[in-house]
Amino acid sequence: MRSTLIAKRYAKALFAVGQEENAFDEYVKIMDEMAKLYNDLPEVRDALTNFLYPLDVRTKVMEQLVKALGASEIMTRFMNLLVQKKRADVIPDIAVTFAAMVDAERNICRGTVVSAMPLSDDLKAKVQATLETIIHKKVVLTSQVDPGIIGGIVAKVGDLVLDGSIKTQLSGLKESIKGSE
Amino acid sequence: MQKRRNWQGVTIVALTVLVVLAGASVIYASGAGGHGGSKSFISPEKLKDLLWRVLNFTGLVIILVMALKKPLTNALHDRRHSIVRQFEELDIQKAEAEKKYKEYEAKIATLDAEVKSIIEAALAQGESEKKRIIEEANRAAGDIKRKAEMAVQYEVALATRRLRAEVADQAVQMAEEIISRNLLESDQIRLVENYLEKVGGLKQ
Repeated sequence: MRSTLIAKRYAKALFAVGQEENAFDEYVKIMDEMAKLYNDLPEVRDALTNFLYPLDVRTKVMEQLVKALGASEIMTRFMNLLVQKKRADVIPDIAVTFAAMVDAERNICRGTVVSAMPLSDDLKAKVQATLETIIHKKVVLTSQVDPGIIGGIVAKVGDLVLDGSIKTQLSGLKESIKGSE
Repeated sequence: MQKRRNWQGVTIVALTVLVVLAGASVIYASGAGGHGGSKSFISPEKLKDLLWRVLNFTGLVIILVMALKKPLTNALHDRRHSIVRQFEELDIQKAEAEKKYKEYEAKIATLDAEVKSIIEAALAQGESEKKRIIEEANRAAGDIKRKAEMAVQYEVALATRRLRAEVADQAVQMAEEIISRNLLESDQIRLVENYLEKVGGLKQ
């Protein structure tokens, strides 16, 4: 809870700067990649948060990382600030919060669409268009394949769930057979 | 009555004194006659002594009568009264005993009827008890029957539900297998398109 509040504070600050610099895309990209590195590589996590390493060493590690990611000067200073303030552990939370704030600013909703076999781009675009029509927002979909649903799709955007899978229809049929007297 | 009795007492005392005096006179006369020819039988001193004794005795009798008359009379009177009271009490007791005797006699006379009525009441009570027990047993039997019927109905419903659930599970499992086996890519596309059309149509 506390880390979420801290992350929100840093994300708001970054959002304000990004708005001024008109650099949301870059900031989102750098934050996502840093969060991915932080979550996937324990060495990176250790190098950034272990207080046994001197602060200048941790700062240098961060500088090298953001340099490798090709971050701008502002983003580099933001990341260094996180290390200096001993807030490197909230990088994943900041990335999530910041992405959500940028999406809200751009009127974008992110969601997933699950299908029994990979969807063609055309079909994916149709799903996206349908969802956009329903929620009146731009929708960014991530595709997933789950043969367990047998056929059809299950689309989730925010609180909205559209379940048109064969599996769910058969479950409904089963319940209606059980429930009928 | 009391006065008369007093007079009787006085008369008796007077007569007694007279008889004593007469007897003494006769004895004295016979004694005086003997002075002329032969030697006297009783001397005058002795006669005088006798007279004195008689008078003394008479005085004693009078004193005794006067002293003892009242307590003796009272005692006899009380005794008479107590005897009368005892008689009266005995009469009352007798009357009560007779009354009780008549009551018991009457009771004995009605005893048969009473016994008969008791027997009849007992029989009636037994009959009503019998009726009540039978009704209770019938009611209990009805309850048991109803419960048994309900249990049977519940079991039948449970079995039906289980069977239906099993059939539904099997049917859906078979349907899933058949659909998975036979669903082509074109069917998948058509399914998605149809669903999107339906959802889009509903929401617009």
